[in-house]
Amino acid sequence: MALDFLKRIFNPNNVTIALDDIQALILRSRPVPYYGTVAVFEINDATQAKLILKELLPIITSAKDWHKNEGASVTLTFTYKGLEKIGLPKDSLDSFPEAFREGMAKRAPFLNDVGVNDPKYWEKDFKNATIHIAAAVIANSEEHWKTKLQEFRAKFSNNKGLKLLKSHDFGATEEVKNVFGFRDGISNPEIEGSGIDTPPGFDRPLKTGEFVLGYPGEGDITKPYPQPDILGKNGSFLIFRKYQSQVADFNKYIQENSRNPQEGELLAAKMVGRWRSGAPLVLSPDKDDKELGDDPHKNNAFSFKNDEFGKKCPFSSHIRRMNPRDSKTFVLEDERLHRIIRRSVTFGDIVPPDVTKDDGKERGQYFMGISANAMGTLEFLQKQWANDGNSQNLGTEKDPMIGVQDSEGLFTMPADPLVKRYRGLQTFNIVKGGEYCFIPSLSALRWISEL
Amino acid sequence: MSVLDNIKLTAELVKANFSEGIDDGYDHSTTSAGKKGLRSGRVSELTAIANLKPGGAENLKKIMEIANGNLKGATKVGTLHDLRIVLLDNDTKILFCTAYDGDWDAYIDDFATKIPQLMDIIFGNVEGWPGIKDPSVKQFILDHQITATGWYVGVPHLTVNDVRRNDKIITGLNKVIDDANKIEK
Repeated sequence: MALDFLKRIFNPNNVTIALDDIQALILRSRPVPYYGTVAVFEINDATQAKLILKELLPIITSAKDWHKNEGASVTLTFTYKGLEKIGLPKDSLDSFPEAFREGMAKRAPFLNDVGVNDPKYWEKDFKNATIHIAAAVIANSEEHWKTKLQEFRAKFSNNKGLKLLKSHDFGATEEVKNVFGFRDGISNPEIEGSGIDTPPGFDRPLKTGEFVLGYPGEGDITKPYPQPDILGKNGSFLIFRKYQSQVADFNKYIQENSRNPQEGELLAAKMVGRWRSGAPLVLSPDKDDKELGDDPHKNNAFSFKNDEFGKKCPFSSHIRRMNPRDSKTFVLEDERLHRIIRRSVTFGDIVPPDVTKDDGKERGQYFMGISANAMGTLEFLQKQWANDGNSQNLGTEKDPMIGVQDSEGLFTMPADPLVKRYRGLQTFNIVKGGEYCFIPSLSALRWISEL
Repeated sequence: MSVLDNIKLTAELVKANFSEGIDDGYDHSTTSAGKKGLRSGRVSELTAIANLKPGGAENLKKIMEIANGNLKGATKVGTLHDLRIVLLDNDTKILFCTAYDGDWDAYIDDFATKIPQLMDIIFGNVEGWPGIKDPSVKQFILDHQITATGWYVGVPHLTVNDVRRNDKIITGLNKVIDDANKIEK
């Protein structure tokens, strides 16, 4: 069964955090296959919204039994404007980080959301920052999804306190691939105290405070968190970004810059850092290896330590930029500080590699990332690792997959006998909107509902 | 300054630039380096003045004497072009100036986990230094930072990494050239 491999090893003796107070999304992997809905709301009336919240409380799922990943889970998050509208006291509102209070669109200069990614081109709910609440129902079967979604909808069908702005169904079957046709979402950090047992050879779990508010993080530093304690502790932050994927442009670029399909596949893999199957270049540098890509025990068991010149996996490749895994560093950076837990979902269909003409259809990814320092982490990743090259010793070169390309559009690929330099890359994933959300603990949700 | 004085000064500067200056083709214009500080190309400046703790000046002098310019922690940071420590007002104050690549505030957390001792050994001599691991440290630095009035960088588009890489390339090229020119006897 496809599900079995995603069951991470759980040891109840390793649990040191309040799993039954933390929302499930933070710890539960995306099931395979998965079925789900994301919905965003505006609060019309705070009193009514609090009544709905009280009604919803029993079906919001906690992280207890996250390792079983059974049935459906319901997640509920608030934007800053949502917290303001529902009536959080001023000193609580002021205790949230500045970037969260400003919202993602306003932070564009700190996120390098410029050019085609400029918020002025975003979808209107994101551009105007009208979203107050974002919720998700995610399940491991169509049946569970439909039942839970119905239950969720029933809670506010007769109430005008919330206005549904947008809702989007999504899903993926056994093979979890993005619209470029690459297996996605393979690597996620584990959290200390969640009960995880990491096999030898795997990264040790990251300190709890990197992902859950109110606990010490790496370096044993407990960052300030929203106050009072009941509001902030056991919560976290969610990054939401909608990407439109320009797959035909990507395919066209690959075709025009390679002599034959094999060379094209290699170039595409070098940009990503993995082959279509998910097999990492470090473990299979010359050709795709489907068996390796399919094997969850092997497809993530590698580091860049023995690829010091990037001849297997380029420094500029997407996966090496986003998680340098023991790469030689050119700038003092702690790679354990800049991780996010990804819960992204794909929308739209896969475009085969031979299609080079855009059909104009919407397709891409709802990127969902979780971190206790989500805003700072996203700003760091966007500015230092995705849209610059100094950390990789590559000048101003950008991430070939998620960077906003300039007129040069450079991609450097170490090779023998001579390094290859590709020019004219376009922005293959365009941001169409995004927002920061607070993932309150279950007790915080109750506290908010009783304000 | 009156409009007339302003025009006169502008004219003098244009004239001096024209007769005495040259153009190297690089963009030397300055922008803001964030909340405070100036940036030219890839290189930013950070200038700060703060009071020293009693005995702080002595400690700093000793540290710099021992290091004798070999600040290995500064090398490890990888983005520092230079840094300067000047003691002011009878050793009661510190003037700290540095030229660095990119952003500093994005890296505070990395400093706190990677070089906490080095940071605190040097800046622990400053009155009110909260410690590199304290969440208020970014604000503390900002509170003492003064944006420069003038900022000029000779080669603004190259980072320390770029310079090191270029240096390696030239060393390698020169070796090839030297080998090719060697006269076998």
